[in-house]
Amino acid sequence: MQHRTRALILSIIPGFGQFYNKQWVKGLVYLVLTASFFIVFKDLLNMGLWGIVTLGTEVPRDNSIFLLAEGILAVIVTVMGLFIYYLNLKDAYKNGRLRDEGKLPNTLRDQYRNLVEQGYPYVVAGPSLFILIFAVVFPILFSIALAFTNYDLYHSPPAKLIDWVGLDTFANIFTVDIWRSTFFDVLAWTVVWTLCASTLQVSLGIFLAVVVNQKDLRFKKFIRTVLVLPWAVPGFVTILVFAGLFNDSFGAINNDILAFFGIDPVPWLTDANWSRLALIMMQGWLGFPFVFLVTTGVLQSIPEELYEAATIDGASIFAKFKNITFPMILIAMAPIIITQFTFNFNNFNIIYLFNGGGPAMPGTTAGGTDILVSWIYKLTMQSSQYSLAAALTILLSIFVIAIALWQFRKTNSFKEE
Amino acid sequence: MKNIKKILGIFSLLALVFALVACGPQEDSGQATGDEGKKEDNNKEYDLLVWEDVEKSEGIADAVAKFEEENDVKVKVVEKAYAQQIEDLRLDGPGGTGPDVFTMPGDQIGTAVVEGLLKELNVGEDVTSIYTEAAMNSQTVDGKVYGLPKAVETTMLFYNKDIVSEDELPTTLDGWYDLSKELTDGENFGLLALFDQIYYANSVLSGYGGYIFGQDENGNYIPTDLGLNNEGAIEGANQIQKFYAEKLFPSGIIGEQGIQVLDSLFSEGKAAAVISGPWNLGPYEEAGIDYGVVKLPELANGENMSAFVGVKSYNVSAYSKNAELAEKLVVFLANEENSKTRYELTKEVPAVAALADDPAVTESEAAQAVAEQSQFSELMPNIPEMNSVWDPADAALQTIATGKAEPKEALDQAVETIKGSIEAANSSK
Repeated sequence: MQHRTRALILSIIPGFGQFYNKQWVKGLVYLVLTASFFIVFKDLLNMGLWGIVTLGTEVPRDNSIFLLAEGILAVIVTVMGLFIYYLNLKDAYKNGRLRDEGKLPNTLRDQYRNLVEQGYPYVVAGPSLFILIFAVVFPILFSIALAFTNYDLYHSPPAKLIDWVGLDTFANIFTVDIWRSTFFDVLAWTVVWTLCASTLQVSLGIFLAVVVNQKDLRFKKFIRTVLVLPWAVPGFVTILVFAGLFNDSFGAINNDILAFFGIDPVPWLTDANWSRLALIMMQGWLGFPFVFLVTTGVLQSIPEELYEAATIDGASIFAKFKNITFPMILIAMAPIIITQFTFNFNNFNIIYLFNGGGPAMPGTTAGGTDILVSWIYKLTMQSSQYSLAAALTILLSIFVIAIALWQFRKTNSFKEE
Repeated sequence: MKNIKKILGIFSLLALVFALVACGPQEDSGQATGDEGKKEDNNKEYDLLVWEDVEKSEGIADAVAKFEEENDVKVKVVEKAYAQQIEDLRLDGPGGTGPDVFTMPGDQIGTAVVEGLLKELNVGEDVTSIYTEAAMNSQTVDGKVYGLPKAVETTMLFYNKDIVSEDELPTTLDGWYDLSKELTDGENFGLLALFDQIYYANSVLSGYGGYIFGQDENGNYIPTDLGLNNEGAIEGANQIQKFYAEKLFPSGIIGEQGIQVLDSLFSEGKAAAVISGPWNLGPYEEAGIDYGVVKLPELANGENMSAFVGVKSYNVSAYSKNAELAEKLVVFLANEENSKTRYELTKEVPAVAALADDPAVTESEAAQAVAEQSQFSELMPNIPEMNSVWDPADAALQTIATGKAEPKEALDQAVETIKGSIEAANSSK
């Protein structure tokens, strides 16, 4: 039998393959690691894996939600364990093959140097990756898991157990009348909102940046500072102040500004279309400073020679903008523009704080300005439909991720060099 | 290389099977008791944890001290926002840091019982009979008692004495309608109310015979019997719409921000009267308004406007490790003597029936108004199905207020939506 096969088989018990290859220290590390893995995680794996399969069998002893969380942790730990196990097998096999080929396995010093030199990025990135798993991956897995359960008011711990129900909740979205009809209404407005609000804030930001960047303009610093101010005030304060300004009967916009121009009061908060317009304008106001700042930075980095050459060729200002400035901005800004779109798609704050998703619309469960996230929030808070909310969140994420990916692929910014 | 992958696959599968075989609940119960022992050690510094409403703990300080002395125990009182307590209990309870005794809104008792957050109290007739019937009903689900009432509140009418004198105060809603017409000039207003919310609008709707849920002979709510679109409710909605259509209620008090606008209009002395609750007694006084408080006016058909009675209660958490002692504390805190002390210190009207005639209560105008209004009031339904009512009902009333829909179609639509929502929520029951 060849060394590699023998080493592979021996390392079914981690470490023994390395011992066979006479790599004592490494073998010991694997062995101790494995032993401590099982000692430390024994309870977690035991309870978690049992819990995630059954979600509890007895009330009040079992709390399905905690079991689910424990189970997901157990799965994460198991996957990490299996990964180390895989490294162990691979290492034994590789060194066995080296011996088959008549070479000597690496000495301890070589191994250390290998680890430090080649593995350096991994060593440095390791801790943050570890935190990432628990701070990002774990909650995502948890909410995905919830979508496949029947967690709602009537199935909530500690009184009741939760069960896995597969795709039932997803089926419900498209079969239960009050959700189905509302879902597409809300989706339509969400898309319109995302496109209009993001486009407005991006184009406003770029436009102002280009204007302020003109050479002959004086007081540039002052103007820039003023233009960044909307960004400096916390968003929720701005939104609440705007909500007051837009008030139909007492707001300054109707009473002072529009009245000054002799325009009749506009039902900003009680008519859906006017509310939508108000929201888009507010988001433009809130969102443009960031784009403005970034664009200003990009403009500084466009080589002056390009403009000089263009001037010699007799290009107009607009031709220069269209053929030099704009393309340069787009290349540098594409990722930022995409994040503006995804941000607005899930821009809960502005919708919720401005008018609570209102005004009410006859015949739907959502208000006139509710976007998907704020609608999901209402559903969960009002009737404790946790699994439904989780399922909708998944659909929403798929939508956003798909669009973002498509955009990323179309722009050059993310191509690896 | 293909081979190695296959072998690896088999190994990982084996590893998984090994891991799963070892799993089971047996060890769990042993573990749980171990944990319990540990927790009790940690909590040695007190025997009971009480969550009290913010700025209300002075009301029970003496009673708690007495209870500690009598029973030789240590009770810790922590203040926590009243509406937040049940939310926090959901996580703190199982986490072991939850309270033994806490306070919550009576209309959420049904939901909390379904979730299993409350411990049933084993109290007899002798304890429950001292409270008003409505208040006690809010604590009862399927004949079982889950808490004892601490305070009641209803909406009432606040009027600005500088604008309307006590003598010429209209006693009917129509009277207010006429007065409002006189006073309203775009800047100043007569009576204002948030009739675009079912919590307030129900006062009118139910006066004309509308109701949210019908009740069977035992007083249990029937979730399938919705009376929000019956003739009475539609008549009531017509009355409500009148105020908005005539611009007596400005459209600025409709919707999410309406409550702030209404409060500031009254605080600035621009509204002659508003319908609001006891929570505004302090703020309006601070605003320097010389106001009076009376029960709600009568409707055109001679009925009194009703109001939702909100009951605040003391309840025992299902997670309490010391439930018997906790129950004892609840009974003690809610007894007549301590209710009176608490009222004197916190000004929250108690639910003890005998105290309604007590000079301490009758002396106060506000307490008197609440007590009087309570007679014409109804309980906020405490069944979980009520959660499905608020949003659609508010939405319908809002469209009525803005004139986007006629009362009948709006209310029909609301009932349709509520039914659908209840059905959807119950589909997995």
